[in-house]
Amino acid sequence: MKKIFLFPALLLFIFTNCEKVVDIEVPSTTPKLIIDAVFEVYFTETPIRVNTVVKLSKSADYFDEAIPAVTNAVVFITNLSDNSIIYFSDANGVGNYIPISTFIPVENVVYELTIVYENNTYKGTASRVKSTPLTSVIQGDKTLFSGNETELKVAFTDDGTEENFYLFDFSNKLFLTIEDRFFNGSEYNFSYFYGEDDIKLPTTVSVKMSGVSKEFYTYYRVLIDQSGQNSGGPFETVPSSLLGNMINTSYESKFPLGYFHISETDSISLNLIEKN
Amino acid sequence: MLQIKKIFFFIFLIPIVAFSQEKITLSGTVYDNSNNETLIGVSIFFSEINAGTSTNEYGFYSITIPKGTYKIQISSLGFNTISETIVLLAKTTKDFKLMEFSENLDEIIIEADIEKLNVRTPQMSVNRLSVATIKQIPVVLGEADIIKSLILLPGVTSAGEGASGFNVRGGAADQNLILLDEAIVFNSSHLFGFFSIFNPDVIKDVKLYKGGIPARFGGRLSSVLDIYQKEGNSKEFNLTGGIGLVSSRLLAEGPIEKEKSSFLIGGRASYAHLFLPLFDNDNKAYFYDVNTKINYRFNDRNNLFLSTYFGKDIFGISDNFVNKYGNNVVNLRWNHLFSNKIFSNLSLIYSDYFYGLILDFVGFEWDSGITNLNFKYDFKHYINEKFKLSYGINNIYIKFNPGEIIPNREDSGIVSEKLIDKYANEFAAYIEAEHEVNDKLTLQYGVRLSNFLRLGQDELNVYVNDQPVLYNRQFKKYEAAEAIAVENLKRSDIISNFANFEPRFSLSYLLNENESIKASYNRMAQYLHLLSNTSSPTPLDVWTPSGRYIKPQLLDQYAIGYFKSIKNGKYSFETEAFYKDIQNRIDYINGANLIANNEIETVILNGQSRAYGLEVLFKKNEGDFKGWLAYTLSKSEQQTLGRNTNEPGINQGEWYNTPFDKTHDISINGSYELNKKWKLNANFLFQTGQPTNYPVGQYEVQGLNIPIFDDNRRNADRLPAYHRLDVSATLTPKKNENRKWQAEWVFGLYNLYGRMNAASINFRENRETSRNEAIQTSIFGLVPSVTYNFKF
Repeated sequence: MKKIFLFPALLLFIFTNCEKVVDIEVPSTTPKLIIDAVFEVYFTETPIRVNTVVKLSKSADYFDEAIPAVTNAVVFITNLSDNSIIYFSDANGVGNYIPISTFIPVENVVYELTIVYENNTYKGTASRVKSTPLTSVIQGDKTLFSGNETELKVAFTDDGTEENFYLFDFSNKLFLTIEDRFFNGSEYNFSYFYGEDDIKLPTTVSVKMSGVSKEFYTYYRVLIDQSGQNSGGPFETVPSSLLGNMINTSYESKFPLGYFHISETDSISLNLIEKN
Repeated sequence: MLQIKKIFFFIFLIPIVAFSQEKITLSGTVYDNSNNETLIGVSIFFSEINAGTSTNEYGFYSITIPKGTYKIQISSLGFNTISETIVLLAKTTKDFKLMEFSENLDEIIIEADIEKLNVRTPQMSVNRLSVATIKQIPVVLGEADIIKSLILLPGVTSAGEGASGFNVRGGAADQNLILLDEAIVFNSSHLFGFFSIFNPDVIKDVKLYKGGIPARFGGRLSSVLDIYQKEGNSKEFNLTGGIGLVSSRLLAEGPIEKEKSSFLIGGRASYAHLFLPLFDNDNKAYFYDVNTKINYRFNDRNNLFLSTYFGKDIFGISDNFVNKYGNNVVNLRWNHLFSNKIFSNLSLIYSDYFYGLILDFVGFEWDSGITNLNFKYDFKHYINEKFKLSYGINNIYIKFNPGEIIPNREDSGIVSEKLIDKYANEFAAYIEAEHEVNDKLTLQYGVRLSNFLRLGQDELNVYVNDQPVLYNRQFKKYEAAEAIAVENLKRSDIISNFANFEPRFSLSYLLNENESIKASYNRMAQYLHLLSNTSSPTPLDVWTPSGRYIKPQLLDQYAIGYFKSIKNGKYSFETEAFYKDIQNRIDYINGANLIANNEIETVILNGQSRAYGLEVLFKKNEGDFKGWLAYTLSKSEQQTLGRNTNEPGINQGEWYNTPFDKTHDISINGSYELNKKWKLNANFLFQTGQPTNYPVGQYEVQGLNIPIFDDNRRNADRLPAYHRLDVSATLTPKKNENRKWQAEWVFGLYNLYGRMNAASINFRENRETSRNEAIQTSIFGLVPSVTYNFKF
């Protein structure tokens, strides 16, 4: 919900007119293992489709052009209820590890992700977080700041029996985190606005809504912030390190970055038409 | 308590000892002859006995001297000095009316001398700016601005253009006590910080205390900005106004009953669609403020003032997004003379700050704010020419509304939620003496006792071991604890009770007529905290009281200075060194969300801060060319230790720069009176770049490119240095002479050489090239302006 309180957005708007790229010498640090394991279970589809890619890479200096993939790691998931193990392999050698046999995370089971890389073992756990289907996603005709945004009207019904946290993916690396604190149990609707630079009409976008844990919600909120999507001006918060839920069990101090999370996800594809 | 009693006893003892000779008291008020406005800081001097006094904030003076015949001088720069012989045999009341010195029409010029150095008074670390100076200082878009002008003084900095607030001696913006006619102002800026809320036409006197803060002030640590509004012309009706690029001003003042009562009403409004002319849809961004004042002088002993301030910013983007915020102040004051030695002022003040949002696209309204009722009773007792006593009490009741969310339309799906209101009461009593021990040594000493009660509220969270923040060792991060219970308390219950003993002390030692050494120590307590995790405050930031989980901030400040007046006051030189130490300065856990957070204690870590530095100010006070050169060398740091050895705290427990640490701060201001028609003004500013954080690496998650920040080097990098040169020219047309309508034009060029100063540097991926970039954001390049001021 935080970014919706975006009062400085207008200032940002003024600022963007006075932006320029500058050369800055940035400090350097030893590379870290990056574990990007955000699993999605498309629970409304039959048969259930899943995205269970574990992407491994290393961090690099800020202005390096390439981010090195990690291709020679051992990756497996343990079902902690029955101790069954599913191995993952990087078939294409690009650091994208996928299960070697069918793997559909089920509810109420804790899964442990293990990665063995360069004599270090990294572990983290997650279980499938419930979500709710999207009721509708339609194109609207309102605008926000410049008059050239494209409105997307999103509606869904929140589950009133528990605290829910959601992550929206609006395609083109545009994300939004919301919590149900202010609409618990309601049929909730809100508008999302694509900026002029975000999309070129007409186009097709896929809107994904995932149920996420409170911790992941907090993590992702900061992640979006740090990716620069909402930064700028003197109103920017002090940046800080962002640690996920994976730990290095061999050397505590050589901690990895990234997250292991399993969400239920609903997705709607939508053709956005040009406005007159 | 025993210790306190002793001090009180000691203080009261001194004047009694001093009563021996047969003495009489002369008292009265000094006015400006042209408009009957009382004059602040006018000197009343008895040369035979080398004694004198000066008028207070309400123009009142009183002095007790041996019987006799004296030649007295009443002087204030810009006015003709009154010299007269006066026979004082019995208690006498005498008012003086000073005539303006020059035919120069800007009546505010008279206050120019208030900036002059006073070598003798123990009060140090104070800067005064006359409204005339403020109006001439070139500013962005030609809007004369008190706060932007303060930045030119030593020890005062800001986060730059478009940043609200100011930082004094390495202190945070929320540590400034801003008083408008004695009322506390919570937010001093319009348009998120581009302009300040004070209409320069209405202002009579501006004083900034950076240290050695007198005991009558309290509640904020770093500074007191004491602003008084005019009373209104009680002689004749007149209008003052101005037309600028951003806003227009109009001020009407005049007598209700001649020389007895007066009114003043001033308004200022910016033009709608400010900054948004480029977009054709229904956007608006504007601000306005209205100042009113009614003054009634019942008799020589009683004077009543009613003043108000209402200011608002409105900011809307189609119907989707509407943002309103502002301050309201209503203030009733009664000046009463108990005798010609005891001046008193009773104030009843209401002030509030509110912040509201309507976000239609997500379907809600948001309201938050702070309200306070302030009762003050201040006395000044002019016991004799060598000893003055100030004492008084102050009680403030404060209600905090951290926020309320309300659905703004029927189909919104938003469920209303009210963040829990908080209540507090702040009481203080003080006593302070100004004591001329001998010809060389003058002391000012006093004490303030402050007490803060955090009053009962609904749903106060209870945590295991009273620890709202936990450290997760496994994931190496601080996390919010879950409340284990809530307490519902009656409003009359006391959740926390804090009392602080705040001694204040300053001295001046005269080396000779023109040179002195001053030293001061002050302890201050601050019970309110502005929750802000950004490099400068935003209007959305919420104030929160001290209580069970947040302790009051405590400051100790030491300062020592050398002051020299050169060539009979033509030049002055002053230098001060200061050290301050603050306990209980809060900082926030990584990823803290401060907005609409009902459990704010779960994201706060307690730390400390310190600042030290050296300030130098050289001024030329007289002549066609006037101006000053100010230099400050300083350091401002913060430390947040872990609560035990298993926790790292912030920055691994090491000291880190505060966001407002500026190593070097140079400002030069000069004005030159070319001839009667033209006056030129220039200022130059240089500040070390603001501390910031550069990434030490990058990685990719979910397609997003994320910079890595190192927690061991918080605020260790810096933005490029900030500097700019501004110039302005004031044209006073000749035909002004001998006519009622008087006018002037002010032409300004802000940031003459178009330096693109960095407001921030952000790191992000260029979406087209997918390459990482450092983006510098600047706010103002060269900005020309023109303002027309008039008066009739």
